Amino acid sequence: MMSTLQDKGRHAYLSQGVPVSGAMDTLSARIANQALGNDPHAAVIEFTYGGAVFHAVTDLLIAYSGDGASLEVESQHLPPDRPIFVPGGTEIRLADTSKGCYTYLAVAGGWNIPEVLESRSTYMPAGIGGLQGRALRRGDVLQAADATSAMTKQLFGRLTGGAVNYPKWGIARWLLLPANRKVICVIPAQEFTWFEGLSVVNFLSDSFRITTQSNRMGYRMEGPPIRNYAKRELLSTAVVPGTIQVTGDGNLILLMADSQTTGGYPRIAQVVAVHMPLCAQLRPGDEIYFKEISRNDAEKLYVQQEKLLKRLSVSWGMNERIGY
Amino acid sequence: MDLQSQSAETFTIYSLSEYAVTLEFDQQIATQTLDKIVRFNALLHQRPFDGFETTVPAYATLSIFFDPIQVMRSSGLRGVNCFQRVSDYLRGLRYAPGSATYPHGDTLTIPVCYGGDFGPDLDEVASRNGLTPAEVIQQHSAALYRVYLIGFTPGFPYLGGLPEQLATPRKQTPRPSISRGSVGIAGKQTGIYPQDTPGGWQIIGRTPLSLFNVANRPPALLKAGDQVIFQPIPPEQFEFNRKADADTDR
Repeated sequence: MMSTLQDKGRHAYLSQGVPVSGAMDTLSARIANQALGNDPHAAVIEFTYGGAVFHAVTDLLIAYSGDGASLEVESQHLPPDRPIFVPGGTEIRLADTSKGCYTYLAVAGGWNIPEVLESRSTYMPAGIGGLQGRALRRGDVLQAADATSAMTKQLFGRLTGGAVNYPKWGIARWLLLPANRKVICVIPAQEFTWFEGLSVVNFLSDSFRITTQSNRMGYRMEGPPIRNYAKRELLSTAVVPGTIQVTGDGNLILLMADSQTTGGYPRIAQVVAVHMPLCAQLRPGDEIYFKEISRNDAEKLYVQQEKLLKRLSVSWGMNERIGY
Repeated sequence: MDLQSQSAETFTIYSLSEYAVTLEFDQQIATQTLDKIVRFNALLHQRPFDGFETTVPAYATLSIFFDPIQVMRSSGLRGVNCFQRVSDYLRGLRYAPGSATYPHGDTLTIPVCYGGDFGPDLDEVASRNGLTPAEVIQQHSAALYRVYLIGFTPGFPYLGGLPEQLATPRKQTPRPSISRGSVGIAGKQTGIYPQDTPGGWQIIGRTPLSLFNVANRPPALLKAGDQVIFQPIPPEQFEFNRKADADTDR
């Protein structure tokens, strides 16, 4: 399954038509880095589902997070969200889980690849970033960057030895996620009033299914048709990951990390930023519900999440750079 | 006479997400609207607020991206949430005194080899509009275009100013692959494909120029507000120019 290098994304070139890209599930990517004392936005490998196998050439300190797969060494399960020492020569497998889609693998210091337009994220449609602008293939060799923090060195020293080794504790990722991961909070978007009353009621009460026409650019969703009574055309304007567009035939498209920078379909809603990691972990066939919240509440959730992430790192005694 | 209100741009502000707002200047495509957006965009870049990150100009809107944490931390911004703080700042910016020199867009000449393999839809565009292929080339290269926005793919310019007689609907079925540099028509717009991508525009020619190069700053050749002229070139010159462009890329 497709694996690419990603970081927090390429935010400075939106006006040039360059998508943000970056990890689909930014929360898991960040936690994998934080578990190692890395820069929270260092490059990680994004794996889609399980199946990949990789070979540690040298001793490594790694961490992984996400719901697409679990890591195994000789069918021994390795726990997520914490540093793991892996001696050189070890073969590590990603075993499928039924929980989600993406898994992030971080290495102490971050993966060493050059930045393109100030980001290491892969954007495959234009062949930008990552490893030569493409997905990883069998035989590729990646190295860790020589940028380890004092915290990372300390962890390495504590866990190093002749065998796979990890601490009993990890970062509590579940604290940052709602109990019900199938209810996605949204803020009404600018064209919300263009849609028929019944369609709006359906949008906020019926379930929507993720179809197989889904990828890093966006998800096509199946559900009750959403009718635009205004029949108005929208001039192309900026859209962002999380924007829910309604196509001419009444179907929904949820834009994701590789979203185009501008779009012309009317927008019914915007997924709140802290729920984008939930959307990232959806698989074709999954059903979700949308729940309306205010912009103000969405902003509060965002600020709370940043504070909590900071606390989780501070409790680790790490040198935090996000800050609030 | 109230000089302040005379210089003030009118726009409405709406929330795009927790980290972005959109200013809507108008609801139609017009050069005056484009000028307002380009001016306000330049002004904002000269006088950014705490936490300001970037902007995305489009036909009638300018979207503004920021870091919510820095916006809330700022002592210079007023309001109980990011939307209020940023909106308040942007409304105030309309009245910024002596708001300096606004950069005019640049004017670029883009060489195009029309027809043949480079422009497989030239004949269709001609026949749909009751013109000869030579007339299409003549009219397309005589007009002065404005870049309204960069979108769709990295570096793709949407150009306004296509002569009415050349307006042609998109292809019924999009092509699975269009070569980089292809110059196309869709309705009343013309544009240039910077990468090999699928696409539904009517392709009338191709430029050897590179529209997007990650080694350049900015990476896109064109930006919103620029003026563009197309210059017809023969196929021999296409190869020559492409080599020259590839050399300067390095």
